Amino acid sequence: MSDYEVLVDGQKGDGGSWQLEWEDRDHGLARLVAEGRSFPVVVEGGGTEWSVSIRGRRIPVVVRTWRERLRAEAETASQAHSGPTTVKATLPGLVVAVTVAVGDAVEEGTSLLTIEAMKMQNEVRAPRAGRVTEVSVLSGQAVATGATLLRLE
Amino acid sequence: MTGGTPPFRRLLVANRGEIAVRIIRACRELGISPIAVHSDVDADALHVRAADRSELIGAAAARDSYLSIDAVLDAARRSGAEAIHPGYGFLSENAGFAAAVEEAGLVFVGPPAGALEALGNKLAARRSAAAAGVPIVPGTTVALEDDTATVLEIGFPVMLKAAAGGGGRGMRRVDAETDLADAMTAARREAAAAFGDGTIYVERMVSPARHVEVQLLGDRHGGLAVLGERDCSVQRRHQKLVEESPSPAIDDATREALFDSARRVAGTVEFHNAATVEFLVDADRHHYFLEMNTRLQVEHGVTELVTGLDLVGWQIRVAAGEALPAAVLDAPRRGHAIEVRIYAEDPYHDFRPTSGRVTAWRMPDGPGVRVDAGMEADTDLRPEYDPLLAKVLVHADDRPSAIARLRRALDETRIGGLQTDAGFLRWLVDDEAFAAGDYDTGFIAERWQNGPPLTDEDRSLAAAAATMARASAATARPVAATPAASAWALAARRDGLRG
Repeated sequence: MSDYEVLVDGQKGDGGSWQLEWEDRDHGLARLVAEGRSFPVVVEGGGTEWSVSIRGRRIPVVVRTWRERLRAEAETASQAHSGPTTVKATLPGLVVAVTVAVGDAVEEGTSLLTIEAMKMQNEVRAPRAGRVTEVSVLSGQAVATGATLLRLE
Repeated sequence: MTGGTPPFRRLLVANRGEIAVRIIRACRELGISPIAVHSDVDADALHVRAADRSELIGAAAARDSYLSIDAVLDAARRSGAEAIHPGYGFLSENAGFAAAVEEAGLVFVGPPAGALEALGNKLAARRSAAAAGVPIVPGTTVALEDDTATVLEIGFPVMLKAAAGGGGRGMRRVDAETDLADAMTAARREAAAAFGDGTIYVERMVSPARHVEVQLLGDRHGGLAVLGERDCSVQRRHQKLVEESPSPAIDDATREALFDSARRVAGTVEFHNAATVEFLVDADRHHYFLEMNTRLQVEHGVTELVTGLDLVGWQIRVAAGEALPAAVLDAPRRGHAIEVRIYAEDPYHDFRPTSGRVTAWRMPDGPGVRVDAGMEADTDLRPEYDPLLAKVLVHADDRPSAIARLRRALDETRIGGLQTDAGFLRWLVDDEAFAAGDYDTGFIAERWQNGPPLTDEDRSLAAAAATMARASAATARPVAATPAASAWALAARRDGLRG
């Protein structure tokens, strides 16, 4: 266990003396046992990225070796400079209006499209100034979180 | 239920998800053959498999399928259904649909089209309620035009509401005059987009307030049962997450006053079948009519648990013309029931919707626990539809026992693949204010916000689970894990020196 650095929601973590017992590994169902107590959990993920649900709360956990840590830090550094920007859906819903088209110049904060979710209309605004190079969705289309909505250059 | 002739031979369930499954179960118990409907993406859904057969009614977008009156009526004709139960949402409060069902020679399992029409316009309902001597929230009883003077007279904060809205849709709180003009424009635009009618009205914000509603069930012969109240004050975005009965906040006098007002509102229309009259109750226990929902409510199960009645079964029976017996009209209420709604929402980030695939799915069980679910393991969430995954209900002799039972039930509940509001619900059952019954509609905003920070125990458990999961995944593969211990120790030491 000491082979890994563990970050629980971004902060260094220590698993103490808990032992993991699988119940249904395909679905991540397990329990943690120590000192006569036990907690049911859902453990999902792979590689360095994991999530552990405890009492209904999904906690992100990074489990990595030192090599993986160096690689991750190098990637973060290289992404700092800007290029084309992909605007993604931050919540799932129904696209109810697309207010820009390919070729349109937009300012930072220009309304790009509207997504209806949870019975509310949410405007998606341009994260920066630029030109619309691609519109990936149509009005009336359902989108999931992380779906590409459009691209700016 | 008697073992007599079924009220209908075949009944079409014009809905999906947990409520479709709930109605199908009632059909089974009555000896009725249930017919489901589905959009193309729902062909393999839980409610489809629960029914005897299912009719395809169109594409994924609700307006092309579950909201299409023509498609639903065609499905009813094709399948030989004699009655249609609309569930909640979708077409359930659509007067045009109710009328079209009756015109097609079928039975609409719900209040008469006239009642849907009259109570569907929230502004008209306010006028009728006031005329029947029922207190309404102070505000306008006619459409709000561009006169800010009316709003200033009422005093801030106010709620702008859509006349064609309801159920929390098209509502907007305004705290100051400077925000009023913009809010009115936005509220009108939202109302027009959502309901095809931009009419809005204004109500004074009643705060603090409890949201308490009264369940009604009527037959076609003038019989009307008042089946107790439900307290639904734990809300986010004006929408309910937790409902319980009886309300811990009202005394018998207030309860009787609510029941009397509910009867009066129902008396303003020709009414039968199931409906709920919603009220706000302020700190002085004055109550104000909000709206009457002419359909089965999501939270109907709470009333079923305290009365022991099958509300959906009775909806179907009164629709077929059966009279309510004394056992229903005077049904005693026993014990305490609580429902929590499990939504695909992240309570740690403003209850924003989550999406993806539900992987693990473990629902609670055991004494006094009921689960109405429209989800199962290894199922993609459909972004087109309501994100309600399941309702967990508990019943016990009294409120403290019900809360203890709910805590136990939520500890048994495990969902993988996405964040749900179960984390909030599990916190709620340990909250002192909730335990004391001391909460109002501002509870989540004031007490929860975005949840407490992780405890040391949470962190330790999460670290242990993920580390051992990774270690066991590594050893399970033929390629051994990288022996990184010494290298890691070196790196850590180096970091320490640098720091």
